[in-house]
Amino acid sequence: MRSVSEKRQRYLFIAAFIVPTLVFFCVFTIYPVIQALYYSFFDWSGMSDTKEFIGIDNFKEMWNDPIVLRAVGNDYFLVAGKIVGIMILATFFAVALTRFNFKLAGFFRSIFFIPNVISVVVIGVLWNFIYNPQIGFLNAFLSLFTEEKVTITWLGFTSHTIWMLLPPAIWAGIGFYMILLIAAIQNIPESYYEAAELEGAGQWTQFRSITVPLIWEQMKVSIINIMMTTLNGSFVIVWIMTEGGPDNSTQVMGSYLYQMAFRQYHFGFAASIGVLILVLSLVTTVVMQRLLRHEAVELS
Amino acid sequence: MAFNKKMAALGLAAAMTIVPLAGCGSNDNNEGASESPGASSASPSASASAPAGESASPSPSESAVKLTGDFEIQYFVGGYGDKWWKKVIADFAAANPDLNVKESGGPKINEQNKPRWIGGNPPDFVYIDGPNLNDRQMVEDGQLEDLTDWLKDAKNVDGDKILDILAQQPQQYDGKIYNIPLVLNSWGVFWDKALFKEKGYAEPTDFQSFLDVSEKIKADGITPYIHTGKYPYYINGSILYPAIVSNNNDDFTILQDMAANKVEAYQSPAVLAALNQIVEMRDKGLIDKASIQINHTDSQMMFLQHKDAFISNGLWLPNEMAKDVPEGFDFGFIPSITQKPGGKVVANTSTATVAVAKNGKNKEAAKAFLQFIFSKAQASQWAELSGAPSNIKGDISSSNAPNFVKDAARFLTDPNTVVIPTITFNADVDTEMQNATDALTIGKITPEEWVKRVTDVVAKVK
Repeated sequence: MRSVSEKRQRYLFIAAFIVPTLVFFCVFTIYPVIQALYYSFFDWSGMSDTKEFIGIDNFKEMWNDPIVLRAVGNDYFLVAGKIVGIMILATFFAVALTRFNFKLAGFFRSIFFIPNVISVVVIGVLWNFIYNPQIGFLNAFLSLFTEEKVTITWLGFTSHTIWMLLPPAIWAGIGFYMILLIAAIQNIPESYYEAAELEGAGQWTQFRSITVPLIWEQMKVSIINIMMTTLNGSFVIVWIMTEGGPDNSTQVMGSYLYQMAFRQYHFGFAASIGVLILVLSLVTTVVMQRLLRHEAVELS
Repeated sequence: MAFNKKMAALGLAAAMTIVPLAGCGSNDNNEGASESPGASSASPSASASAPAGESASPSPSESAVKLTGDFEIQYFVGGYGDKWWKKVIADFAAANPDLNVKESGGPKINEQNKPRWIGGNPPDFVYIDGPNLNDRQMVEDGQLEDLTDWLKDAKNVDGDKILDILAQQPQQYDGKIYNIPLVLNSWGVFWDKALFKEKGYAEPTDFQSFLDVSEKIKADGITPYIHTGKYPYYINGSILYPAIVSNNNDDFTILQDMAANKVEAYQSPAVLAALNQIVEMRDKGLIDKASIQINHTDSQMMFLQHKDAFISNGLWLPNEMAKDVPEGFDFGFIPSITQKPGGKVVANTSTATVAVAKNGKNKEAAKAFLQFIFSKAQASQWAELSGAPSNIKGDISSSNAPNFVKDAARFLTDPNTVVIPTITFNADVDTEMQNATDALTIGKITPEEWVKRVTDVVAKVK
């Protein structure tokens, strides 16, 4: 008798934690996903009170739309660029601030973290000014070294403008992953490094053979997280800085979705882009998990 | 270590729950702002008052028919502000004491009311302006009431025929009228008269004089011309479209054919000639290289700082930048610069329209409101309170409207000006024209490729 009520209490206790989250998850994640999937089968302007079922025509059209392909390419370019850029710099900073004891480590840690506190919108606007050809910092700086005033239109190349979005994206991301890696490095027992040093291992060897293997788990999480946030969130920086332009050269899936849904009134088509983002995010996550899986070393 | 991981996971989970919550919060706000139940009593008397349509009788409308029930007006608040709307709605409500007039206005109203349009429960009357609201799309979606028959002989509260007092006639969609232009504004090119006087530059009157003075300006180290490449409809509206009309012997029907998705119109030599004028500006180095990547505000700031001598813009510019205009700055304006010497100026109008919702509950009140606002008295009032010319013919010279508004109004009523009526392109075609023009200004494509790209899209949307 007593055990039954105890069991029930236990379930109640568990349910108290799970149910609210589950409800929120269903309402704000599962339901919109299903809705989007539903709309992706319709030809709908997003404003009309009627919509026409067209099966998978939206997906067929997506396949034939060169801008979608470019957007996917740009997204993966940003993913790759950000992973490389952020991981190298974040790891470098994390190691520098933990392994080489120097006085101002705390100060620099705060400095590097600041971009994370700033909204991405502000970062976008800020970098727009840096890139401004007439009054921008970058051209003014470069002009110091040249005879004539430099007037490069950093966000207006005929192609490859997407490269210019990488620096702000990386700059904005470093702080968080640096803190993550600092926490991991600080968990490595000092004795490991002492032992290595006694054996004559230099800083590089220590980094390669002790630090990296023992923080690999955090690096893996970082890489996957960068990948996911970029595929889902590259929209913000693109929309603030270029709105996908000039001539669609910096379009990513998110920005093209917005463009299609709210500027060109093809809500159904936009929904199918949303489905594409979801599918690609899932597939890429699984692939990344597999690629990175084997090399984890656990600290016992 | 394991503990750490758990903490990290927990933290992540917490973050994930907070994110949707944040979204939820803002959703709530939106709903709060856009509440106002439209479903409420579309009282039977509203439909009983059907003869209100005939209130077009010369006598003041309110004496003819009593309007009752609820009546809701949706208006976007942008550069023109909401002073006029507040005033005219209050006056209309006072004239119709039995009518419960509601207003939903604001800078975000188009988005806020969207669910109601989708749900078939829209406000009765809508002012179509600002983002996320496109008249052509609304017509295609069947959201707007067909006003063709009603407007044919509708008279305003003063007994004037509405069609007669409109400066610009409504756009027709397959011969039908759904929306009436309320604001009449013009695209064009601005400069600073004070600067031109100081430096002895001649004000442009045609393309050649524009090119000549631009060379002079360039020699003085000022970039001649700037536009906003982030929103290429500025350059399309103030350079390309007027140029197409000028090259088409001042016949603007070519633009209407283009808007009607006729492929041949896009392949006309006039289009190519107009594009080549932009190419000439580009190749002579007159276009500020910064244009391609900046938004309208940045381009306007650079213009006000005399980094650029000319800017493509609309007549709202002085109002929009009122706070940043340097002392002594004197706006000069011409609707088009691409005409041949001695040719007519072409004014590409930019209008904002009003319409009646097809699914509205009180169409009679909405029509009565149309009769109320399209009166000569409102022309001056609009110009005064919103700082823009209205689409109602009427002498505003004695009103308190700003000087440039009066000048513009004069320009738009001058018989020597070719005035292009409101034209809304299909959104896909419009977007492609904008992107292609951007590509053209940075030398990525040729005029022929511009035509090819745009006609491909036209053929597709057709």
